[in-house]
Amino acid sequence: MTDGAPSTSNRTPAVQAGLSDPATIVSFSEAQLGEVRRLQSVYPDARGALLPVLHMAQETFGYISLEVEEYVAALFDLSPAHVHEVVTFYTLYFRERPGRHIVAVCHNLSCHLAGAPGIIAHLKQKLGVDPGETTADRRVTFLTVECLCACEAAPMAQVDDRYELNLTPEKIDRLLEGLP
Amino acid sequence: MAKLTVNGKEVEVPAGTNLIEAARAAGVEVPHYCYHPGLSIAGQCRLCMVDIEKTPRPTIACNTVAADGMVVNTETDRVRETRKSIMEFHLINHPLDCPVCDQAGECWLQIYYMKHGLYDPRMKDEKVHKPKAVPLGPHVILDAERCILCSRCVRFCDEITATGELGIFERGDHSEIGLFPGRELDNKYSANVVDICPVGALTDRDFRFQVRVWYLDTAKSICPGCARGCNIEVHVNRRRPHHAEGRRVARLKPRFNAEVNKWWICDAGRYGFGFVDAPDRLLTPAQREGGSSTDVTWELGIAAVAGALRRLPPEQLGVIASPKMANEDLFALRRLLDLHGISQAAGRVPTRVPGDEDDFLIRADKNPNSLGAELMGFGGDARTVLEAARARRLKFLWVFGHDLLASALSERDVLEAFRAVETVVFTGSNANWTSAHAHWVLPAAAWAEREGTYTNFEGRVQRFRTAIEPLGQALAEWEIVGRVMASLGQTLSATRAEHLFRQLVEAVPAFAGLSYPLLGDTGSPLAAAGAAGRPGAGAPPSEATSSSC
Repeated sequence: MTDGAPSTSNRTPAVQAGLSDPATIVSFSEAQLGEVRRLQSVYPDARGALLPVLHMAQETFGYISLEVEEYVAALFDLSPAHVHEVVTFYTLYFRERPGRHIVAVCHNLSCHLAGAPGIIAHLKQKLGVDPGETTADRRVTFLTVECLCACEAAPMAQVDDRYELNLTPEKIDRLLEGLP
Repeated sequence: MAKLTVNGKEVEVPAGTNLIEAARAAGVEVPHYCYHPGLSIAGQCRLCMVDIEKTPRPTIACNTVAADGMVVNTETDRVRETRKSIMEFHLINHPLDCPVCDQAGECWLQIYYMKHGLYDPRMKDEKVHKPKAVPLGPHVILDAERCILCSRCVRFCDEITATGELGIFERGDHSEIGLFPGRELDNKYSANVVDICPVGALTDRDFRFQVRVWYLDTAKSICPGCARGCNIEVHVNRRRPHHAEGRRVARLKPRFNAEVNKWWICDAGRYGFGFVDAPDRLLTPAQREGGSSTDVTWELGIAAVAGALRRLPPEQLGVIASPKMANEDLFALRRLLDLHGISQAAGRVPTRVPGDEDDFLIRADKNPNSLGAELMGFGGDARTVLEAARARRLKFLWVFGHDLLASALSERDVLEAFRAVETVVFTGSNANWTSAHAHWVLPAAAWAEREGTYTNFEGRVQRFRTAIEPLGQALAEWEIVGRVMASLGQTLSATRAEHLFRQLVEAVPAFAGLSYPLLGDTGSPLAAAGAAGRPGAGAPPSEATSSSC
């Protein structure tokens, strides 16, 4: 992946696709339910579709609330506790509503050696929040993550669905300006 | 069948047997936490490592199926070393709170540390802290720091009750057992997770902090809570009575019986023993005249019954026995009734609300010995006896155990029947509305205070043993009947329940061929009794680490 290449993912960022009203009723559309059934049928055990369906739910509802977990559990005839196990195990499911954009800076070995601590410190200062937090205006959720497999362009970050490579404080400033 | 060698000993096991069970068959104990014979294999704790010849490294025994020609060794140096390291891993974040942990004394971390650990701890980092003393439901409390994440409780809720309340949340060393937020662990079998928890993570809210487990005595028994007759152990606190304010029965634990309850019991049965040490226990024979009750001697109480039997024609005598009585009691009573030609006898009293039932263990019939009562001729409905009383055909009525006034019978009819007879005698372990209306009260020992047998709904006859002494002057029902007979110059020829059982076996064809030794610890079915004896049938295939340690 090259710097600034458009994302190949057909997923819209959770924050863009997410419904803005937290009180929205948790329910998939008929088309989505069809997709759930399709996904369930492609795995030897229907449970295998839990991860993609949770991603779908996150895109649709903005994040995985307890209510969403219960809704998805019912779709799989699973106990909500087991969906909660999966959601709490993985880091890519948001259990609270994230900001409109997600800035995830790699702090793994290569990025660390190439200056990630400076990038992280700069972001902390610019955003005024610590990793794991969301800015008060809900514009950005700031995360640190493990290796995203772009060591050749360290230090790097994933901003929404795009990789931003060879980061410098100046580049960070430009990036942040570009986030509405 | 597969023939294999474990620690040099050859053993043959059925195809599909895992190596923990195969080793057990060879008399070798493979230490383990997550494996439980009643649950699926998780392979999570890694403690059951064994060496198998021609495999490059130690393998978990629980998930390895015994194969022909396998040579298994559980005590090689590298297996010992592996176990020790795994113990060290398990204990990395474990708090050193054994002195205040209710599991101490029956904790498999303690036991295995002493057997397989004994290393010098190398952890310098601070331990990860997790929630402590979190009530999960009405019966179970969680200490997440003590948990080793074996997942037995999770699998129990998934596979046995299919209620799925529990899960392992988060990951790495932040992983912890928990409930879906806002839910409770409140199924009908919830407290079994305490039995199968090998450590102090899940403890029993009712039992904890009552008494240290090493002060408990145990007796093999049968749950009197319903017609299933689950095999249990009664744990009693005789040695430290001051620790539990005189409560003698500390807890009930399931006892493995392949034919009846496997490793489990329901919560209703588990916590149904409160009546044994309840303040409403009947302690001395008593006579009620007018509104007041006076304690009397056994002689006087027995004389009241014997006098009526001597004085009245049999058609004026009525008995309502109880399907909560043991076979031995019912047989003694049957002898007495037959000797006197008494035909007004029943045993069944309709309940006000139908008992709950499921397709697992719980039976709607909340009596442990309904079938035994029926076989002894006490299967009839109490209404016929009460009808006879109300019609003034009875002058004497002996009620065992039942609270007729808390049953589906009309209270007016019962009271009218009581008023219509000269003498109402109540025999039971606890006071109730019926005992309050009786002219004579003869106190009976509770099931845990005597021995006997029950016949469960499937016709399985099972022994329960004495766990504690009777409170006050209470006697087993058969002893009361025996005293009545003695005072009438008749003889019961029994000084122990077993004597009565021998007579019962002679007299009641359904019981033919049975004996206490044959019943053993796990009982015997009525029908199979004539066939080959099978003492000790259903011995546990395993489970040192489950239940009642």
